[in-house]
This record gives sequence, C-alpha cells and structure tokens, in this order.
Amino acid sequence: MSAVEAVFVLLSLVALGSALLVVTTSNLVHAALWLVVTLGAVAGLYLVLAAEFVAWVQVLIYVGAVVVLLLFALMLTRAPTGHTDDLTVRRALPAAIVAGLVALLLAVTVVAGFSDVRIDLDETVVGSAETTGRTVFTMWVLPFEVLSVLLLAALVGAIALSKREAT
Amino acid sequence: MPLWWPLLVASLLFAVGVYGVLARRNAVLVLMGVELMLNAVNLNFVAFDAQLRDVLHGGQTFALFVIVIAAAEIGLALAIVLLVFRTHGHIDVDDLRSLGESGLDELDRPRGRA
Amino acid sequence: MSTLVLVMLVVPFGTAAVTLAVGHLSDRTAKAVSVGGSGLGLVLAWVVALSHLGEAEPLQHVYASTATVGPAIELAQYVDPLSAVLLLLATTVAFLVQVYSLGYLEHDPRYPSYAALVSVFTGAMATVVTADDLWVLLIGWELMGACSYFLIAHHWELGDARAGAVKAFLLTRTADLGLLFAIFVLGERYDSYRISTIVTAVAGSAPQVDELALPAVLLIVAAMGKSAQVPFHTWLPDAMPGPTPISALIHAATMVAAGVFLIARMYPLFEATPLSLTLLALVSAVTMFLAALYALFSDDLKRVLAWSTVSQLAYMFGALSAGAWSAAVLQLLAHGVFKALLFLAAGSVVHAIGGATSMDAMGGLRRRLPTTFATMTLGFGALVGVVPLVGFFTKDAVVHAAYVEAADGRVVWPWIAWLLVGSMVVTAAMTAAYSLRAWLLVFFGPEPAGARIEPVPGVMTWPLVVLAVPTVLGGLAATNPDFLGPGHDEPLSVATSVLLTLVVLVTGVLVLTAWRRRGRDLWRTVPVPHPTVDLAWRELLVRPVGRLALLARANDRDVIEAYVDGAAASARALGWLLRRSQTGSIRLYLTVVVVGATAVAVAAGALG
Repeated sequence: MSAVEAVFVLLSLVALGSALLVVTTSNLVHAALWLVVTLGAVAGLYLVLAAEFVAWVQVLIYVGAVVVLLLFALMLTRAPTGHTDDLTVRRALPAAIVAGLVALLLAVTVVAGFSDVRIDLDETVVGSAETTGRTVFTMWVLPFEVLSVLLLAALVGAIALSKREAT
Repeated sequence: MPLWWPLLVASLLFAVGVYGVLARRNAVLVLMGVELMLNAVNLNFVAFDAQLRDVLHGGQTFALFVIVIAAAEIGLALAIVLLVFRTHGHIDVDDLRSLGESGLDELDRPRGRA
Repeated sequence: MSTLVLVMLVVPFGTAAVTLAVGHLSDRTAKAVSVGGSGLGLVLAWVVALSHLGEAEPLQHVYASTATVGPAIELAQYVDPLSAVLLLLATTVAFLVQVYSLGYLEHDPRYPSYAALVSVFTGAMATVVTADDLWVLLIGWELMGACSYFLIAHHWELGDARAGAVKAFLLTRTADLGLLFAIFVLGERYDSYRISTIVTAVAGSAPQVDELALPAVLLIVAAMGKSAQVPFHTWLPDAMPGPTPISALIHAATMVAAGVFLIARMYPLFEATPLSLTLLALVSAVTMFLAALYALFSDDLKRVLAWSTVSQLAYMFGALSAGAWSAAVLQLLAHGVFKALLFLAAGSVVHAIGGATSMDAMGGLRRRLPTTFATMTLGFGALVGVVPLVGFFTKDAVVHAAYVEAADGRVVWPWIAWLLVGSMVVTAAMTAAYSLRAWLLVFFGPEPAGARIEPVPGVMTWPLVVLAVPTVLGGLAATNPDFLGPGHDEPLSVATSVLLTLVVLVTGVLVLTAWRRRGRDLWRTVPVPHPTVDLAWRELLVRPVGRLALLARANDRDVIEAYVDGAAASARALGWLLRRSQTGSIRLYLTVVVVGATAVAVAAGALG
C-alpha cells in the first residue's frame, strides 16, 4: 500500500467514525462539531482523489457556511446544551435495520461491480481552480446560471419564510 | 487504488446518513443526516471522475453543483425548522403529526417546550 | 263506419291525454277539455249506436292481426244492438257524470287527473262493448278495473278510500283470472279468439257439455267478480268512499254491468251448458237476498244504494240464467239509468249537507232540495218497480221469465229455479222496504240539528232531470224491445205484475205504519256482522299476497340493496385501510421513501 492509499484509509476511518458519532451522540452541539470533523475528513478525501477545487469549496461552504447555519438553527430553536436524553427515537432498531440493509446493498453492488477497476492517481488531471473554472464556464455554464437563480430563489424563500408576522 | 475503496466509503457514509435521518428526533439532526448523504454522493462523483479521467470533468463539476444545491436546501430547510419552532415551540419530528388523519388539531395546541 | 268506430274509441283516450297535459293550466281549461271531449265522444257514440239498432246489419271489422304461436290476436270489432245500447248507456251516463262533476268537484285540486281517468274509463268501456277479439275485451276489462282503483282512491288521504280501492282491485283481479283462463281454453278449443267465431261455432254444433262447462264456469267467475256477486260481493259497498259521481258511473251503471254484458255477449256458450246456468241461478238467488238484507240494516245512504246495486245485478243474472236474454238486457239498461240517477241525487244530498253520508245526518230535506227530491223519488220508484216507471216493466219481465223457467223447467234444475223465483219476490219486498226507509229518512221528518244546507248548483241538478226522463218514459221502450234485434219480444204477464204490485203495496203500508209509530227508528237494527266471506278472502288472498309483498320487499332491501350498500361499505373500508398509512409521522414517510427507493434500485439492478 502506497502512502496515498494509507492516507486515504486513515481519512476514511476518521470520516466514518465521526459520522457515526454525529448520528449517535446525545449532545446536540457535539453532533454539529462531529459533523465538522466529518466534512473536513471528506474534504481530505477529495484532495487525495485530486479534486482540489472541490475540496476547498467543501471546506468553505460546508464547514464554513452550512455548519454555521446549523449551529445558528440550534441556537434559535433553544437547543439544550449538554447531554439530552431523547435525541434518538426509543426504538431505533428498525432504522438501524434499514440503514444496515442499504449499506449491505450498496456495498455488495459496488464491490461486486467494480472489484477489478483501479484509479490511476498518477494520470489524473488535478482539479485545480483553473481547470475547474474553465470547464464550468465553458461547458457547464447553463447549469451554473440556473444554479445561481436557484440560490437566489432559496435566499428569497428563506427570507420570506422566516419573516415575522407584523403583530 | 482500487475504485471500490472510495465507493465503499461512500456507501457506508450514505448508510450512516440514512440511519441519522430515520433515527433522530431533532429536526436539525435529521438535516445533518441529509448532509452526510449528500457528501457520500459527492465522494462517489469525485471517485468516478478520478477513475474515468473525464475530459468534461463532469464528476467534479457535479460535486460542485451538489454542494451549491445542498447549501440552498439547508437554508430553506432551516427556515422551515424555525417556523415550526415558532408555531409549535419544539422541533421534535415525532410530535409533528398535523399531516396525519387527525392531525389538524395539533396546530391549535402547540406544546410549550423549551 | 268502421273508421268512425275507431275514432269513437280513440277520442276518450285522447281527451284524457289532453286533460292531463293542459289541465293544470287553469280550472276552466281542464273543465272545458274534459266536458268537451266527453261530449264529442257522446255524439260519435250516438251516431254509431243509432245506426246499429234493431234490424241493422252488425258491423264486423278487423283492423290489425298479429301472428302468434296459437290463434292470431286481432284488433277486431263487432257492433250489434247489444253493443249499441250499452254504448248509449255508457257514454250518456259518462257525459252526465262529467257535467255533474263540474259542480261536485268544483274546488278539488285533483280535478284534471279525475276527469282524465273518467275519460279513460269511458274509452275502456266502449272498447269492451265493441270488442270482437277476447284479448281486446280483456284489455278494456282490466283498464276499467284500473280506473276504478284510481278513482275510488281519489281522496287518497282517507284510509277508507285506500282500503276500499285495494279491496276492489284485489277481488276483481282475482276473479279476472277466470276470464283469462277462459280465453285460453276457448282459444285452444276453437282455434280463434274472435267472439263472433266462437259463438257461431258453439251455436252451430251439438252441445258438448263436458268441454264447454269449464270456460263457461270460468266466465261466470269473472262476471261474478266484476259485478260483485257472491262470493265477491263485499268490494262494492267498500268502494263507496270514492266520489259519488264515480259510484254512479262505475259502480252502478257501467263497470259492474260489464259482467252481465259478458254473459249476454257469449250467451250461446252458456245456453249449451245447463250446468253453468244452474250455477248462475243459484248465485244470483243467494246474492239478491243477502244484499237486500244488508241494505235493510244499513245507515249509510251510499251503502244502501251499493247493496241495492248488488241485489239488482243479481236480478239480471237471474234473468240470464232463466233464458230471458232481452229481459236481462232491458233490466241492465233501466237499472243503469235509475241507479245513476239515484247515486247522483244522493251525491247532491251529500254535497248539500256538507259531506256526511250517514242518514242520521239527514232529514226533512224535501223542502230545501226540491229538484233532488223529485228526481230521487222517481229513481226510488223505478227501483221498487212502481208503475208506470221503467223499473216496473223490466222487473216484471225478469220475474215472469224466472217463473216460466221454473214451471217449464227447460235448463235450470227445478228446485234452484223455484228458489230463484221465491228469492226474487222476497227481494222485491225488501227492495221496497229499504228504498222507502231511505226515502223517508232523507226527505221527511225533522231536519238535523244545527245543519247548514247549501243549495245545489245547477250543473248538478240538470243531469238529474235528464236521467229522470228515461226513468219515466223508458217503459215505452221496455214494452217494445225491437231495438234489441229481430226476434226479441218480452211478453209481460198480468199475473206477475199484479203480484209484484201487491207485494210492494203491502210492504209500503207496513213501513209507513212503522214510520208513524216509531219515527226514525224504523226497526231494530240488527248489527250486521262483518261478512264472513271477507274473513275467508283475508285468509286465502290477502294474507298470502301480503306475505309475497313482504318477501319482495325483503328481497329488495336485503339482497339488492345489500349489494349497493356493500359497494359503498367496501369503498369506505378500503378508504379506512388506506388511511392507516396517513399517520402524520414524518419518520414513517421517510422510511418508506428510503425503503422504496432501495427496492426500486434493487429491481432496476435485477431486471437491467
């Protein structure tokens, strides 16, 4: 196993571990913080897979904005800090079974389907800012524009929804 | 590296996200589960992009787009969670039954939970 | 001429349709249409009838013929003197009743349907008397029964009216089975449903008692039902809650006479079967006595007249059984006229005192209702058989014929024939008694206390006067019955006339003496028990029919409706089942989405 692969395995374990903690911890704020770790680890995985720009966007948007937004939401909904008992449903077994089944299904499919395919990391084009920028603004410009409109709509929608009624 | 490594990681991450969505009671925690799922999908995209060495860089571009959409979605979702908190006083998903058959009276009696 | 007959038959039905269509527009429209139509029908009937009296050739015409498995059913007509005189009677009385109803039902909101039904009835009666095909006759026969049912129940808010209508319908309908099966047997035997064909065949061949006894007896059963003879006699008095003009038209002059007409029309069939005539004689002997007995003890004016009708019809049947065809037909005509007169006059009395029909509410009305008094007196006189009114001549002919039959013994068994004669004489006495009693109770004595007596409108007295004319002058026709066809001549016997007149006089003296001595309480009223015949009918007919009706209702409710309700219930149940999934739990929804998406993925993978 090369160094890259080892790093990959390590980061995967971190990501999976912290993801498990996100969904099982009984402290709301801790869950958000473990989410940060997960997202950061995933960003690392992107870097390993030569998706540079995506990794930094991940850190910027996901860790920087989305998690902050989640923390704001926790604050605004008076989330209890510290240990809370009833964050998970009492009977979590069905959910666990479903999740297990999904995992099994996907894992089996994936491993069986791509067991002899390899990623050649030396030959990949690094997804630098320049490469990504050129691709997006020449070949993917229409989806890009549509997405900006989508963001605008989401922005307007969020403001409209959360406006307090004039009493 | 074998392709199935990142794919397996993505599958397991996705499964964890499913568990988070189905087993958590707080709405914000459910959204966190959704984020995990989206990240798993992104990992999938990037892995395939690395393997296929696409000229259009479709995988990475799509990963970018998914991040954008996730951001838009989380903004709106949290606005809705806020509204739910305002009307009901809590964001416990299990107690939001007004979509049910006899759930319309729920709106009249919001539970006062801190 | 055959076209004219067809038009004459169509006019009443057309009038009924028009009355129903435009009658609601205004009172005057309904009245104008119905009386006008009736008048038109009357004119046509008179034209047709007058050209077929006496020696005229009978009209025979076939309009259409349908091929069937057996003999053909044809729209055939036969107009001979018998049809002619009955047409005259039926349409004239119907027209007078329509005019009379203008006053009697002046403020009745159901007038259009009433007038239409009377028109339909008139058309049906005309159909019956001019029919040559037995099926056409049956249709007219049943249509008359249906009109009778509807008209008796004209005031359907009264329980009595509804019950009376159902009773009349059930009893006559049961008896009509006789007619139906007789048609089957005759059609089978003579391979034709034409009356003229059958009658000619019967008259031409040697009498075959065995084969003809069955249809003859069946026809007698039908006639007994329609004409309210024992054991079907109880429906006629119970039909009195119907409007009085209807009682006059249907239950005195025309429909109940249809039974007599049927026997008269197919007379050769009965002449060939002495058994049937014997049966007829027995039935009429019993009926005339029994009915007169009921009339004697009845306190309701209309019931007295109803029982009187039953009794007089028995006279006609008695004449027929004794072989006196023309005497029977003359009695039918005379009775139609004076009974209609009596009923209409009774209606006038009832209308004047505000609707009560019990004789306890009447008295001393001769000063207040002079025309009614005069005409009703003539009517009662004809009923009793006072010379020189028409009833005297016809009753005399009937009794004489019965006596001749008993003495010479041609057809009917001797002791039954003597029973018939005796019954006729005794009934004549009872007729005089109850008629005189009714006359005295209504028109003499003190006026009822606190009575408001309304004057009778002109439209109601005018028909009474018209009917009084043949009542008085009809004797001329009765003594010269040539118009009934060649060879009809009824000799009158002086002995019989004197006997009857003596009987009437003695009875009259006895009744008047009782009146002087006891006032209104002429004789101790025997409480008349509910006719036992009715009890028998209740068990045999009404109960089974009731059970059948319950069965039909149960079938409708528990079987058919169960399917309908079941469809609704199953839809509701399915909805309930599907609603189980609407728990409102977001968790459940998400789970289902995830599991579903996974399943779809698996399926896509497996299939693809």
